[in-house]
Amino acid sequence: MRRLRHFFTVRLNWVALLIVGFFFTVALAAPWIAPPDDPAHPALYRYLEGQTQVAPLPPGPGLPLGTVAYMMDSTGGRELLHFDIFYSLVWGTRTVLRFGLLTALAAACLGITLGAIGGYVGGALNFALMRITDAFLAFPVIAGVWLFRTVMQTANMELVDYTNLTPVSIPSTPFQHLVLTLGIDPVMLTLILFSWMGYARLINANLISLKEAEYVQAAKVAGQRPLRIIFRHLLPNAIAPIIVLLARDIGGMVVMQAAFAFIGVSGTVNSTAIPEWSRLLMMGRNWIMGAGGNPFLYWWLYLPVTAALIVFGIGWNLLGDGLNLTLNPHEVARKRFG
Amino acid sequence: MPIVKFLVRRLAFMAITFVVITAGLYGVMMLSPAEARATLYMPRTDSGISFNQLQLIIEEYGLKAPYPVQYVRWLGSVLRGDWGWSPTLRDDVLKALLRRTPVTAELILWSVLLFIPLGIFSGAVAAWQRGRAADHSFRLLAFFATSIPPFVLGLMLLAIFYVGLRWFPVGRLTVSSELAVKSAAFKTYTGLVVVDGLLNGRPDITMDALRHLVLPVFTLSLTHWATLGRVTRAAMAEELHKDYVTTARGKGLSWRKTVWRHALHNAMLPALNSSALSAAALVTGVFVVEVIFGLPGVSGLLNASPGNMRLFVPDVAATMGFAVYGVLLVLPLMFILDVLQAFIDPRLREGAVL
Repeated sequence: MRRLRHFFTVRLNWVALLIVGFFFTVALAAPWIAPPDDPAHPALYRYLEGQTQVAPLPPGPGLPLGTVAYMMDSTGGRELLHFDIFYSLVWGTRTVLRFGLLTALAAACLGITLGAIGGYVGGALNFALMRITDAFLAFPVIAGVWLFRTVMQTANMELVDYTNLTPVSIPSTPFQHLVLTLGIDPVMLTLILFSWMGYARLINANLISLKEAEYVQAAKVAGQRPLRIIFRHLLPNAIAPIIVLLARDIGGMVVMQAAFAFIGVSGTVNSTAIPEWSRLLMMGRNWIMGAGGNPFLYWWLYLPVTAALIVFGIGWNLLGDGLNLTLNPHEVARKRFG
Repeated sequence: MPIVKFLVRRLAFMAITFVVITAGLYGVMMLSPAEARATLYMPRTDSGISFNQLQLIIEEYGLKAPYPVQYVRWLGSVLRGDWGWSPTLRDDVLKALLRRTPVTAELILWSVLLFIPLGIFSGAVAAWQRGRAADHSFRLLAFFATSIPPFVLGLMLLAIFYVGLRWFPVGRLTVSSELAVKSAAFKTYTGLVVVDGLLNGRPDITMDALRHLVLPVFTLSLTHWATLGRVTRAAMAEELHKDYVTTARGKGLSWRKTVWRHALHNAMLPALNSSALSAAALVTGVFVVEVIFGLPGVSGLLNASPGNMRLFVPDVAATMGFAVYGVLLVLPLMFILDVLQAFIDPRLREGAVL
């Protein structure tokens, strides 16, 4: 309780809560902030019908942040559509929060499980697990993103049989089938697979030092079962730094996904798995960076989205820093007496 | 010789890491059909590949065999230097990678040379001047530097300094320098244009290359500078509270000497360690920066798009090559930083701690 009170005495922590709370509020209040055309089945995007202009429309009445024009593949061929940026930005908070929370939580679960197993069992198993963890730290995530992308590209492959010149379709593997039916973003899979290491190392180091602690030895002598010792005595004491890392990761994952989407290694624009903010960046990319693109002329294509991303990242980072000071007694002491 | 033992241990770590990562990579590739993996052993041809050819390759290379067998076979061909043929680049994957390496290497080299000394220096100053103006401005700057994602920073720098002010160009070289570099008179010593320009007695080309490098190197370094500075600041603050600092002060050593000679020495270890751990993030950042600033580096393999959609051939060889190459970029970086740590800390050299 005293720790919690300490959390609220720091003014910066209020800023953090305000920012994070703001995004949750927008996500919940999306139907009122940006009313969808069909309230029963709200879409995550909205485009204007019957537009003849090619260039993105600037902010104006009814379009608080203008539109982004994008050539969409549809059933009737390619079609230039104007997407409402404000609408996507508001409804995107839902997908973005879901992406960040899901990815960070999944990575944390994976890391905690591996780190806890290794830390509790110890010996050769722990040595092997920690070497694997170190190995993963030496891998650039972007290569993993591209790897999963290629794996997904080979789903429903079609080749030509030269003996009778007929197309042969190669059946997808169970994994590809699963990802396609569940609509999972390959980038999300990659980020989970390549960001559990921090959690594993934290929990591992913590468990190894705590295992020797007297109260744990006492519990062991008292005859408690290993699982009970892990959940009752070890994890609660090791969980504080995990929460801090988790808070920072939620923002970090979203920003990283946006970066990959922007440079074009994430999925395609029509993929339903991509968070809405990243989709906006992907659609606006050519108007900003491509031939004839102009970041000054079409500022509304990237300034609102990137500002939202930056504030989102700052909010979660500040929350992580605040929790770090609150949950870590050493940090509190250092702040007070250092 | 403890130092030899140390080096051997680090090299063994690198070898294990390489095996673990490549095993993981091939494991992910196992999630795609055997036909996709067959393109790893594709003949070097410009035309598409047929179903029948792929069946023959699957047969010949045993691509329906259990995973370990397939993995060892693939690792063998990678180690022999046969990285496969990329149908989209129409080139040998290893050759394509090596040709693009100098650009990437240049970017990493200048960034590391910039942000590691600067990060350690500014972090140390901030800890030394704790609570004063220098500390506050460092923390504020570091906060902004870590808050702005590199791709957004790159975009904004592009907008201001390239599109707006026209101070710094994009790409690697201007056309005239590019032609000069490609001419027969220009000898390639290192592949790094900045160095080669000087060696060839063409400082104008060096200047041109440097002008092109300003924005990418700045974009890449900023976040890493801030992170490193923060770690150094925290480590330094801890060191300054230790007894040996009091002793040094007590025997009449000046603050300046105490900070730079004694405390920094110890604070550099966690700083270099954190840099070693973020080497992979640095390499990812390099690729992002290359794409944004249009540098013809290794990330060019990422932009290869599938050519013929009907005769769709996935570029598995380029994907795997890029991933293996990424690891091969990270490992030497980590190794250099480890060796640096061993130079600073005799305990590491003597093998007292891992």
